[in-house]
Amino acid sequence: MRSKNLLFVFVLIATLALPLGAMAQDDGERPLIGAWDTCADPVSLSGEVKIGVAFAQSEAAAIYGVPQQQAVELAIAEINESGYLGEATLVAVTEDAGSTPETAISAFTNLVAEDVSAIIGPTLSNQAMAADPVAFGTERQESGDPLIPVVGVSNTRTGMETDFAASYGDGGAYFRRISLPESKVIPGTVEQVVDILGIETVGIMYSDNDQFTASAYEVFVSALEESGVEIVATETFATGDVDFTAQLTNIIAANPDAIVVSALAAEIVPLLEQARSQLGYTGPIIGGNGFNTPGIASEDRGAGTDANGVVVGGAWNVARQNEISTAFTAKYEEEYGTPADQFAVQAYTGTWVVATAIRCADSADPAAVLEALAATADFETPLGTFSFDEEGLPEHEPVAQIIKDGQYLLLTEESAAEVFGE
Amino acid sequence: MGFVSDALASIGLNEFVITLMFVNAILAMSIYLTLYGGMFSLANAGFMAIGSYVSVILTQNHDWPFLPAILVGMVAAGLIAIPIGLPVLRLRDIYLAIATIGFVEITRIMILNFDKIIAEVYTRLHMESEPPKITNGPLGITGIPVETKLEYLIVTVIILSYFMIRMHRSRFGRALAAIRQDENVAASQGINVVYYKNAAFILGAMMAGLGGGFSGHLSRIIQPGSYGFGTAVDILAYSVLGGISSWYGPILGGLALTALPEVLRPLKEYTGLINGVVLLIFIAYLPGGLGDPALWRSVRKTAGRIVNFINKGKTANAGA
Repeated sequence: MRSKNLLFVFVLIATLALPLGAMAQDDGERPLIGAWDTCADPVSLSGEVKIGVAFAQSEAAAIYGVPQQQAVELAIAEINESGYLGEATLVAVTEDAGSTPETAISAFTNLVAEDVSAIIGPTLSNQAMAADPVAFGTERQESGDPLIPVVGVSNTRTGMETDFAASYGDGGAYFRRISLPESKVIPGTVEQVVDILGIETVGIMYSDNDQFTASAYEVFVSALEESGVEIVATETFATGDVDFTAQLTNIIAANPDAIVVSALAAEIVPLLEQARSQLGYTGPIIGGNGFNTPGIASEDRGAGTDANGVVVGGAWNVARQNEISTAFTAKYEEEYGTPADQFAVQAYTGTWVVATAIRCADSADPAAVLEALAATADFETPLGTFSFDEEGLPEHEPVAQIIKDGQYLLLTEESAAEVFGE
Repeated sequence: MGFVSDALASIGLNEFVITLMFVNAILAMSIYLTLYGGMFSLANAGFMAIGSYVSVILTQNHDWPFLPAILVGMVAAGLIAIPIGLPVLRLRDIYLAIATIGFVEITRIMILNFDKIIAEVYTRLHMESEPPKITNGPLGITGIPVETKLEYLIVTVIILSYFMIRMHRSRFGRALAAIRQDENVAASQGINVVYYKNAAFILGAMMAGLGGGFSGHLSRIIQPGSYGFGTAVDILAYSVLGGISSWYGPILGGLALTALPEVLRPLKEYTGLINGVVLLIFIAYLPGGLGDPALWRSVRKTAGRIVNFINKGKTANAGA
């Protein structure tokens, strides 16, 4: 009897201990991303480290904000499961930033009251111009509360760093972004496109009442001038318009080698359908960052085959994967059932960059986190090797892509010939 | 005070939201004046834009102090209302609404292209110097210092409320009420219809301009896109939800409609849906709005009945 009992206890202990052993070994299976070796495991961090997350979960910009939120949650789960912050767990304090500057300010006001170590968001650039100063602007500086770093993952407005520095002095340095501003994406893209497609003249169409598309337009103009391309026609429209045939007719009449379009996702789909199906334009259409969501070319919700021949520069392309982004996109699709887009990849990268800053600072203090954040250099991410340059701007290689049958292919002479059938 | 603000913050009404609520209350009051005179004008989003841009340009580019700047913004909106009101107020009902929406769009597009217009003038006049960037087109003006304080707004709302209460009993208020009921009869009674309608329109424009000045110095960025058709409808919605049968209706509407989505914030993607349902219920069951005096009378009556009932219960118990 006695020995039987002993045996039972032994078996019980063994079964209980087995998963413990297996869990201990789990630590070896690290995510591919992360500064595991450059920064030692943190020792002073413990308990919960809070970061604020504020993306558009409602209204117009939710099309970008929802994938961003999902990617951040995925990254945080990875970070905590792998013990990236040692004893501490990373906790997201989430607020819906809506789609207007006012809702974003309100979200940020709630977040800074939670003593977060950093904030990721908001989705739109004009929201960032309004809401980011809640974390580091004049009022925060005067209140004596610690300034909080804000990491933008989709803000592409040109010159945000200098604008913030001009308005808020040293506080402006608390703004960092993962997303390449148009000033970094477009020149690289235009150069590749002009080179590969041999473009000499273009017509430009842009939405002039949205700051995102208007600033992209200005960058396009200077990049095209730099590449020696002549602009033969310029037409404008407004966000919310549904009929673009008049402007397109004028542009097509000027017979350019390509049409450059700076617009947001909602206008792009009808614009493409009208250009291709109604007016029969077959040449290349070069787009700004707004074209960078797979929905544009989808058969049921987007422009379908009318999107063929759209050339767009981006921060990331599913066809230019490294092993980190392959792992992320597979995991994302498994988790949420939709393919990851650029916005998801950037939000995922942003979360890891922030977590890395916390790990390397070995502190949840916002100022220490900012210092480590600013020092981010040669960090391997799904976007490629990521650094902040000496002006605090993000840096990684942009990518020129061409759409064919719903796919974003890398732009090469072969893929271009395939699309345009030359 | 700290206790109250903490309690409000816990249901989603942080200091910024409360400030915004009062800004919107001022905007709601601005449309009340024209509605009181029976004019269905949606022009106030345009006057708000004018007040906002004029005051922000003064504080940003010319280092004016805040209070004079918003007062100038208010006067500018009033001055622009004069040439707009004279022809437009000859229209009635839905035609007036359409014409005033046109004014809102024209204002927005003028602000959008203001720098281009200035640049064009410079080239036509062969001026050597670089044309200035004033409204900065669609990118808007950024880095505006936050000057709008809750105290200013509460004082403004009190002053405007006093003005409204006085107006109801004044010759001006009675004239407007008469015009609302029947313009022709009012005219036959010797009321100068054109004068009173324009005066109400200009005063409303000045209030909208003042609200615009406050809102411009609250959100750090102003863009032409913020003053379009959507804003015009929002302002109308404040006063419709609040009701125009009393002067405090629009204030209640502005406060409630701004607060509602913030209180519903925890519902995330369902916020908009529930917000809409709540509004529908209000409109369906309270056609007179939140500020309907009849509603408050019945609330008082019901409360009185409940108090009576409880008291009766007490006496009954005591008797037993």
